[in-house]
Amino acid sequence: MGTPESTTTERTIRTRAAELTDQPLTLLTVAVFWTWLVVRWTNDFLLDGALIERGTSFFPTAPFEAAASALGSLAASLGPVGFPVGWVAGFFEFLAASIPYLPELAIGVWATILLTVLGIALGFVIAVPLSVARVYGGTITRSLALGYTELFRGTPLLAQLFVLYFATPLTTVIRELPTVGTGFIPAQAFWVAVIAFTLNSAAYQSEYIRSALNSVPEGQLTAARAIGLSKVDGIRHVVLPQGLRYAIPGWSNELVYLIKYSSLASFITVRELFERTDAIASETYRYTELFVLAGLFYLALVISASLLMEYVEEQVAIPGLGTTGR
Amino acid sequence: MSDPLLALDDVYKSYGEEQVLSGVSFEMDAGDVDVVIGPSGSGKSTMLRCVNRLTEIDSGDIYLDGDCVTDADTDVNELRKQVGMVFQDFNLFAHLTALGNVTLGLRKVRGMDKATARERGYEHLEQVGLSDQADSYPAELSGGQKQRVGIARALAMDPKLLLFDEPTSALDPELVGEVVEVMRDLAAEGITMLVVSHEMGFARSAASDIIFLDEGRIVEHGPPEQLFENPQAARTGEFLSRLETTHEGE
Amino acid sequence: MPPLPLQSDWAFVVENLDLLIAGTGVTVALTVASILLGFLLGFPAGAIEVYGRGPLKRAVETAGVVLRGTPLLVIIILLFFGLSVSSSAFVTATIALGLRSAAYQSQIFRGALQSVDEGQLEAARAVGMGRFQAIRSVVVPQALRRSVPGFQNEFTIVLKDTSIAIVIGLGELLTVGQNLYQGGQSTAALEIFLTVSLIYFVLTFVTNRSLDRLDDRFSIPGGERA
Ligand SMILES: Nc1ncnc2c1ncn2[C@@H]1O[C@H](COP(=O)(O)OP(=O)(O)O)[C@@H](O)[C@H]1O
Ligand SMILES: [Mg+2]
Repeated sequence: MGTPESTTTERTIRTRAAELTDQPLTLLTVAVFWTWLVVRWTNDFLLDGALIERGTSFFPTAPFEAAASALGSLAASLGPVGFPVGWVAGFFEFLAASIPYLPELAIGVWATILLTVLGIALGFVIAVPLSVARVYGGTITRSLALGYTELFRGTPLLAQLFVLYFATPLTTVIRELPTVGTGFIPAQAFWVAVIAFTLNSAAYQSEYIRSALNSVPEGQLTAARAIGLSKVDGIRHVVLPQGLRYAIPGWSNELVYLIKYSSLASFITVRELFERTDAIASETYRYTELFVLAGLFYLALVISASLLMEYVEEQVAIPGLGTTGR
Repeated sequence: MSDPLLALDDVYKSYGEEQVLSGVSFEMDAGDVDVVIGPSGSGKSTMLRCVNRLTEIDSGDIYLDGDCVTDADTDVNELRKQVGMVFQDFNLFAHLTALGNVTLGLRKVRGMDKATARERGYEHLEQVGLSDQADSYPAELSGGQKQRVGIARALAMDPKLLLFDEPTSALDPELVGEVVEVMRDLAAEGITMLVVSHEMGFARSAASDIIFLDEGRIVEHGPPEQLFENPQAARTGEFLSRLETTHEGE
Repeated sequence: MPPLPLQSDWAFVVENLDLLIAGTGVTVALTVASILLGFLLGFPAGAIEVYGRGPLKRAVETAGVVLRGTPLLVIIILLFFGLSVSSSAFVTATIALGLRSAAYQSQIFRGALQSVDEGQLEAARAVGMGRFQAIRSVVVPQALRRSVPGFQNEFTIVLKDTSIAIVIGLGELLTVGQNLYQGGQSTAALEIFLTVSLIYFVLTFVTNRSLDRLDDRFSIPGGERA
């Protein structure tokens, strides 16, 4: 069941996305995006709104509105040949309309990133033993690990969120914990989402790591045993360092997936990027502008993740091993 | 007289229906270099792997330096510290440099600190003539260099016995020489080696004894002069003459 | 603490099994329609990425990056409330899932097309076929066989993601579950959502098994698997 063999396809998908995104303009956009985010978060979270009041945008709308209307009338006066100018006018209109919502969305991006990073990191901690159990375990541990991954990979993440949120006492338990929902610590729904993402992503990550471990030649463990390492130490010092490198492409893929699927946390009231966008949209009815904006934010996060993973891959690359030089 | 360094006593091993070793017995003393020859599938690799218990035997006993190492309570990792192994396809740790390959066992098995292990590692790379490649990764080395690192890795554990499983048969002909050269040096230094190899030049000049294995049995066992010039068993002669013809082209 | 699951909660699920089965029907229909749309758009897109050039190729690649980089949730909402492509939730969900699936399927096909040895195309040209004909009758058949595993993966992803159509109120399986839960029987949450999950699990399991069969059927004797 499942298709661990698809890692090659996934690898090419990601490499190709990187080819397309590795252009100066994209890099510049990503840099601007992150600078803005960091300044915004610093102002809102750390400096208590010292630079500018919380919720107020850094950028004035007036110049963009003026530009939009000037260009709009220019386009009108040009008649039928004015349509390119009209497009530019539309773009400025879009900017002017978006600016007031930027601060709110930046806070949403923070929650989205937190959800993703916690989900993937905690998921990794579970995924490594899971995959080792799948490859090296006895019959019982092996089938337990298999059952876990098949269960979580065979049902929708949204259904898993619903089971945890509506059908278990998890929310009640977490709500009682100290500091939850006060100050920086998000409310219980966020933590339920983190648990769901962790459990779900552990299943997918373990599948990537499992096929990576399988691609480490058997002779490697034999040689490790031959110099006197125990099986556990051989796996730890010889097989895992290689296998985890093979797993990087699949793992990056999972990171990208998780960024996008973190939007599902909005269904259980987590106030991440999608939820905040949706809340504003249902008040202002500016669905198109707002969701195009949200889409661009997600895209920027996904591209940032791809670039980051590409960098990581380069940093840990070893000649002749894994994705490079093969 | 003291105990032999290695002794196999009536060793049997089967895989399912297939009998791979059928009552193998022989002894070798410290400093001996024994070369095992025999047709493909005759059980040579299996016999070597039984000595360091990468493969478990069905019956019989194996003694290292007088201690029975096939007891259930023998610590296999302790045994493998004392028996080094060099593989046909090198099996260098692909994520570690040449030096990393040599020092991993020193650090994780012998518990040496990093600096001491590095120092020792360099010495052993020097021994195989590769101290200048210490920082290269396996993929950056030629086959002959890889195998020399493999030998250094085994040597580093300071074993009582070194096992070689066809160390040159994965190499291009022009790279065989450098590896055989290293093995000759080790033999001259008095290191005890049990070598599966069909390098006749090495066998003639360095071996104390030749062991001819066929269908899981030792057919003939004796010094190279006797075995090569005057084989006792008909099958030995046949095998040797076939070996001559196949190696002629090289 | 929520009340312990009662016998009656399971009874409630059983009573409403017909609703759940109807929802399952919608889920299956949505999956099939989306996969088909994804194939119709994704296959040519993959071919364009391999054999195309110029602005068309760049446009296809960019559309792919955007669709693969945006959450399905955002795509669905944008199509339904923003662009209002259709007043039917089913049609909108099909377009959203289909477009996104096309972006992924194009990559499966692109990889498969590229994995077919160059020599195949040359050999076909050597017997006198034109470029288009050679691609169509020699490269494409081999590539399609090699894309079965990737396609299998994509199939189950779409199947699971149909649940996201709940956001526009489409009456698929998870929506039915949610409605049952909020329609007053909130003590049955565990029973309802476990049943729903079980149905999804059975669906993905059966899909995977059938596509495994397909893979075996179409594999070339003696040929390596993709
Ligand atoms: N792990 C194993 N499982 C099953 N059969 C094996 C295994 N290892 C070796 N054999 C069988 O044992 C026989 C001897 O193999 P081997 O010791 O590798 O021979 P040689 O090294 O002399 O070529 C062969 O027939 C081989 O198929
Ligand atoms: Mg052998």
